[in-house]
Amino acid sequence: MHFLIITRFTGLLILFLGISMAAPLIVSLIYDDGSAYSLGLSMIITSGVGIVLYLSTRHHKEVHLNHRDGVTVVTLGWIMSGLVGTLPFLFSGSIPDFTDAYFESMSGFTTTGSSVLADIEGLPEGILFWRSQTQWLGGMGIIVLSIAILPFLGVGGMQLYKAEIPGPLVDKLKPRISETAKTLWKVYVLITLVEVILLFAGGMSLFDAVCHAFCSMPTGGFSTKNASIAYFGTPYLQIVLIVFMMLAGINFSLHYRMIKGNVSSFYQNSECRTFLILTGIFALSIAFDIHGALYHSFFDALMHATFQVSSIITTTGFVTADYAKWPPLSQAILLVCMFLGAMAGSTGGGIKIMRVMLLFRQSYKEVFRIIHPHAVTVIKLEGRPVSAEILSSIWGFFTLYMILFVIGTFIMSFMGLDIFSAFASVAASIGNIGPGFGTVGPVHNYSAVPLAGKWVLVLCMLLGRLEIYTVIVLFLPEFWRK
Amino acid sequence: MKIIIVGAGEVGFHITQRLSEEGHDVVLIDQDNEKIKRVTENLDVQAYLGSGTSPGLLKTAGIREADLFVAATDSDEVNLIACLLGKNLNQYMVKIARVRNQEYMEEVGLFSQDLLGIDHIINPQSLMVKTIQSLMEIPGTTEVIDFVEGRVKLIGLTIPGDSPLAGRKLSTLKERGEKLLIGAIVRGDQVVIPDGRDTIMADDLLYVVVRSNDLNDALRLFKTKEETLRRVIIIGAGQTGTDLATALDHRKINAKIIDKDREVCATLAERLERVIVIHGDGTDRDLLQEENVADVDIIVAITGDEESNVLISLLAKGLGAKRSITRVSKLSYIPLVSAIGIDTVVSPRLSAVRAILQYIRRGKIISVAPLKGEHAEAIEAEALETSGITNTPLSKIKFPKGAIVGTIVRGEHVIIPTGDSIILPQDRLIIFALQEVVPKLEKLLTVKLEYF
Repeated sequence: MHFLIITRFTGLLILFLGISMAAPLIVSLIYDDGSAYSLGLSMIITSGVGIVLYLSTRHHKEVHLNHRDGVTVVTLGWIMSGLVGTLPFLFSGSIPDFTDAYFESMSGFTTTGSSVLADIEGLPEGILFWRSQTQWLGGMGIIVLSIAILPFLGVGGMQLYKAEIPGPLVDKLKPRISETAKTLWKVYVLITLVEVILLFAGGMSLFDAVCHAFCSMPTGGFSTKNASIAYFGTPYLQIVLIVFMMLAGINFSLHYRMIKGNVSSFYQNSECRTFLILTGIFALSIAFDIHGALYHSFFDALMHATFQVSSIITTTGFVTADYAKWPPLSQAILLVCMFLGAMAGSTGGGIKIMRVMLLFRQSYKEVFRIIHPHAVTVIKLEGRPVSAEILSSIWGFFTLYMILFVIGTFIMSFMGLDIFSAFASVAASIGNIGPGFGTVGPVHNYSAVPLAGKWVLVLCMLLGRLEIYTVIVLFLPEFWRK
Repeated sequence: MKIIIVGAGEVGFHITQRLSEEGHDVVLIDQDNEKIKRVTENLDVQAYLGSGTSPGLLKTAGIREADLFVAATDSDEVNLIACLLGKNLNQYMVKIARVRNQEYMEEVGLFSQDLLGIDHIINPQSLMVKTIQSLMEIPGTTEVIDFVEGRVKLIGLTIPGDSPLAGRKLSTLKERGEKLLIGAIVRGDQVVIPDGRDTIMADDLLYVVVRSNDLNDALRLFKTKEETLRRVIIIGAGQTGTDLATALDHRKINAKIIDKDREVCATLAERLERVIVIHGDGTDRDLLQEENVADVDIIVAITGDEESNVLISLLAKGLGAKRSITRVSKLSYIPLVSAIGIDTVVSPRLSAVRAILQYIRRGKIISVAPLKGEHAEAIEAEALETSGITNTPLSKIKFPKGAIVGTIVRGEHVIIPTGDSIILPQDRLIIFALQEVVPKLEKLLTVKLEYF
């Protein structure tokens, strides 16, 4: 373990976050919302700490980052980002309690989107912008962004990249990892820009358009309105958001290929096909289920169903309706979506479609083996064989995901949440979704959750965002042995 | 002709044997001492031990005087390099390379004179796979060969004992009309190029030329049953087995392939989508039953071990498989296996020889198919204006005894000829001939003597 280089990297990361606080500061100055002082203070403190950490280790000779260092840097980097993110909330008094502030900050960076705030609209614009910005930075990944910006990482970058990017397989778009990271960020920025323009054209204020684009591209789910997207009634805005949530749930290397001219790249990819077809089937089923009693026009039913399904399956967490009041079938489908998640390599969370597909294929193979005991079978994805190593790592991931989910539910119900809310709060946190069911449902928030429960959920968010292995390995004694 | 052959594997060996039998001077090069030993012990050829990509060795082998160069090793890359060296050392000889990789075949200009300078590409493996596929498609046949881009088919049919055709003279077969022609009859070890006076007997193997469109009529005449192909088991995932399985992969056929080697199975499973790959011994009765061999339409036994192939086919048929295709390369086995009830045999030797023969025949020969036992062949050739066969009724042409014109293809028309038919220049002909009259036939097809 090379603690000096870990410190140096973390310092750089914090410095970078400090500099990025200039954006909300500018917003705050434009709106003159009174939060400029606290944002400026946060910026100075954060940048200062970053510079001190970086400079104190600057004479340290370059060392190649090994796998353990990579994992430590990523996890530590995320914990520190969460910490730094609390400063504007605390200084401005928007969220005076540290636990609440850390919950909100981590919920932002991990793109979960669950909030402890009851009155969001009462917050100064600068703070709202910072809230959205944490999501946008966390979506494509603060570490991936660092790899793109910081050239000195070299080979070690691959370890960091693998530890942060979601999905079991790493798709290197360019020969160099820093180029790959840059490409992904460029695609991300480009799509975000298009979304801002389309939202603005649909009648949102520029501020709201930017904030909502910043929260839908990373599949985050923070809104600047108390009623979330329900506030914006027009079908146009909802359709734009549906489209961009779905785009955010698609592997960004496919976007890159699409931009490069391979128009059918979505269709060629079987994971993408499965993702789109599943979303379609779920949305239609819910539309038929809620049509009639709840919504008189089928168009309304279909709009709400499609919005909710794409919001939950991509793990965004925007809401246009109180789905907790929907019939049981619709709720069950949304619950399934919470676990499924989006595509590997997207900004979404959850188990990921690719993993679920491979788990299904392997299960089928086991049944097939009963019929043909001597058959030799290979599990394939996009026509290429998937190695046994990756398959077992997926089984391990799935098992850990479920175990953590069960333990989390136990703890949350021990804290006094009713069983359904406990269940949903953990599922929504570990899947980086945001709103759950019951007392943490779409029209409620997480402020009523007990203090210790909030920390449990924060841990769940981090585990979910970094896909469990990266975080949980730090808890193994073997990891710390020399 | 002086011929250099690189590679004494299955393809190389069979080509060498045939060319040597035809009276050519053959020099063989291979790296494997065992293979060289086998060649020198069995064939009247000169053999060198060493690499076919060694310029020194090629010079020693006499490449500067060679007329024909055949690179037939198992490696495409070695074959290509050998031909490239050959081009450099002797630009006048004809170079033939065995190439299996489809990607090379599709690369435009790769084999052109500017680049590799390869005159002909042969791929016996794929010929054999095509043969097996045709055999699967057309029931009741023991052999199917395409001519004239597939518009004419040569099929081999065995006459069962209870056939109404048994015992009839060919001249009385009026119902055949002009749809088909019997080009050769194989009876035991004998091959007869028949005329009207010959009689069909039970257990004869008939070689029949027929237009592809009329195939079903012909099959009806010979009373072979129509059946659709649904279940296939392939045993042996060598090159042929792999290629065959790949070809069947995208069809609605329930196919399985069995091989002993786990590694081979694993590699194959990665390539295939629908065909089920099974690891096990094809001679294992329990395994065959487990994979439901009783309901199989065709079992294809194509392992590298021909004794096993025969046993597998017999076992599978005993367990209820409807038909079997067996790979047998030793010519001496072919009459024996027919006697014990193995009907359809494919031979890598025949495929290899077929691939090469057209390039060493003189005249405008388009393709050559050796018939069972290699005592006779079917030749597809273009009629040259300068040859002595054009513009005269067939009955007036002095064809050597043991040769017969089976088909005349003129543009779009496919003519099954009678004695009055006339060959025009540029017609394509399919001629059946016994091996011993092939030299005479070659002369007849090329140029009239008086032109010299």
